[in-house]
This record gives sequence, structure tokens and C-alpha cells, in this order.
Amino acid sequence: MKICNNCVLPETFPGIVFDDHGVCNYCRRHGLVSDEKRTSQKSRYEGKCTLIIEKLKNKNPYDALMAFSGGKDSTYTLQYLVEKFGLRVLAFTFDHGFLSPMAKENMLNVTRELGVDHIYFLSNPKAINRAFKSSVEEDAYPVKALERASAICNTCMHVAKSLILKTAIEQRIQVIAYGWSPGQAPVQSSVMRLNASMMEKTQGMMIESLSKVMGNDLAPYVLADSHLDILREADGEEYGFYNVHPLAFLEYDEEKILESISRLGWEPPRDTDANSSNCLLNTFANQVHLDRYGFHPYAMENAGLVRDGHLDRDEALERLQQPMDQSLSAAIKQTLDIP
Amino acid sequence: MDYKETIRDFIVENFLFGESDRLKDDTSFLDTAIIDSTGILELIAFLEETFDVSIEDTEMLPENFDSLNNISLYLSKKRDS
Repeated sequence: MKICNNCVLPETFPGIVFDDHGVCNYCRRHGLVSDEKRTSQKSRYEGKCTLIIEKLKNKNPYDALMAFSGGKDSTYTLQYLVEKFGLRVLAFTFDHGFLSPMAKENMLNVTRELGVDHIYFLSNPKAINRAFKSSVEEDAYPVKALERASAICNTCMHVAKSLILKTAIEQRIQVIAYGWSPGQAPVQSSVMRLNASMMEKTQGMMIESLSKVMGNDLAPYVLADSHLDILREADGEEYGFYNVHPLAFLEYDEEKILESISRLGWEPPRDTDANSSNCLLNTFANQVHLDRYGFHPYAMENAGLVRDGHLDRDEALERLQQPMDQSLSAAIKQTLDIP
Repeated sequence: MDYKETIRDFIVENFLFGESDRLKDDTSFLDTAIIDSTGILELIAFLEETFDVSIEDTEMLPENFDSLNNISLYLSKKRDS
């Protein structure tokens, strides 16, 4: 299969076009922005994030809510918020029923070492598994969404993000932090003020898609009118609710990240695939995606990391070509009742 | 300045992969699932880079970015102000 000579995107990736040098259009577009401009953008967003954090610090019982999967990136982001800013962070974990045992152990070590409160939300397996099964069997997402993640991951992220926002609103925590890597989300979205009308619109899409399979079991995960009212009130304030993902503007060096979080007792899980450090469902989700669309759901993230110099191209290719764990996939299929 | 064609080309190339028939001037990106919530952020990043505008937090509303017409109107106002 033809693969971009610069990044790792394959010829099966949606909308890809190669030039005479075998370089893809995604790399060419990336090359239009100078390194100076990128550095300046990162500084600007880091400054913006710092300002918001400082302005909102000590305003409420918790300063930030960390979407804490137990993986390396969210762990490092949590460490950054606590150690750099001295924030009182509430860690929040959405367990879709397939978190790796090692990830859970890492969570305990990290929250204990950093001294943060932690809400661990274990979802109703019957309801969430219906959603995952449907993600595999139906074409529920636009192609663009499937460029970034598998259908199962999209479903999980929709539910988790909604629940996280709901919790933040209820606890009046105005900074919601995610550990998205620079390959997962652009720096321009690293500090986003949330507003009621956009949330209402995007939540409507999620409800339309998932209520068909989750029915009333979806209600606990979505914002009620009362939550949207709080967001609406905040729209009029100088500082509202924010999503931030600091890894987009911080130095992203996996070795340094692993070294830093190892001080908290975090160990690389040996029970997950190469592209995840917390999820046992990932291998199966990747396999389904690869079979259906012909490209790996982590291709885009890894390509982004390679382009930005955060990851060696050969290492990225190795991650994408790692064989899937067939016995684990078979077990997941059985759990999800997929023939 | 007519912004629509530049934005249309970006959306057709990056979100519709050539299927331009699905995109009318007043088509809602979110209602028709052409763009999801994460995609809106990519679109905003493109607008900032291409048209050299700084989009404020409080301006990131569906009424500004949910269709070609909305974006065009928003950018015109932004440039005039």
C-alpha cells in the first residue's frame, strides 16, 4: 500500500492526494504554516490558558475538572495542572466497562500521589454496550469524524464528554481539561469557551444518534435544561466555562512525559495495544475500522505527531502495523453480542 | 470580498471529499452532520488562518458558523468592524 513519504497516511485515507514526491496533501497544507507562526500560536494559547486558569483559581471548590482516562496524556495533563498551577483538581473517569486493570492501578497511584479527589463513573454495561454494538453495525458518523477515531471511540467520546460537562456544570467547575495529544486536536481548539447554543446544538446531534439504541438509558449522560440554563447565565459573565487541552501548546515529548509521570507511580500498561495506554476495547475498535474503511483510526493522530516532530516516522508506522490481539477481539465481540 | 467559494472549497475537500452537491449556501453543517462539533473547531482554525481574523470565544456560536451564509455574514461584519 502506498504511504505518504513524509507522514504515515495511506492511500486509503479519505481525500488523500499524493504529489510527484509521494507527499500527501495533508503534509503540503501543514507546510504552508511556518515554524515561527506555530511557535507564536502555541505561546498565544498557552498565555490564554494561563490567564483563564489564574482568573478562575480559588473561585469555586474545585479549580478544574480533569477528564482522566488513566492514560499517559491525561495523567501528564493532570500533573501539569496540579504541579504548575497548584490547582484543586477533581479527576473524573468515565469507565465504559473496558478500562485496563493496569490503567485502574495507575489511576489509584497517580491520584494518591498528587492528592486529588477522583470520581470514577462506571457506566451501565447493558446500555453502553448497545451503543458500541450499534457503532459497529451502523454507519453512525460522518467520514470526517471517522478520520480521527473509530466509530466505537466516537461513541465513547460523545458520551464521556457530555457526562464530563454535566458534572463540571453541577460542581460549578469552570475549567474542563482534556489530555488530547497534538495529533488529536489542533492548537486553535486548545482553549475553547463553551456556550449554551453550541452545546445545545451538538448535544441534539448526539441524542438523535444514540437515543435510538440507548433509549431512556441515555438521559443520565446528557445535559438537562437546567444545565443549559447555567451555561446561558455564564455566557453573560466575563469568564465562563472552558475546555482546555494543554498538550497542544506544551512541549510534547513522549519520553519526557513517561519519565515525568513515572514519578507518580504510573507504569506503561502491558495489557493494551500500542495506540492506547488505558483501553481494552481499542484493539477491537481499530480492527473493525481497518476492515471497513481500509485505514487505521490512529493514522491521522500519528501522522500529526510525525509532522510536528513529536514522533519518529518509523515508530509511528510500527504502531500502526502492530498485529491486533485476536483473542481479545473475539472476547470483546462476545461481550458486545456481535456475531 | 466573497468568502463563500474559498470556504466551500475547503469544506468540500475536507469534509465532503468532493461531494459538492450536498452543500448549499444555507445548509446547516451540524444538522446535516456534514461537520461535527470537533469539525467546527477545524473550520474555525481554517478561517483564522485563511482570512487572518481572530475569532473571539464569545463569537463561536452556531449562528456564526453553521452554514456558508452564516460564515460569510459573520466575516463581512467582522471585517467592517
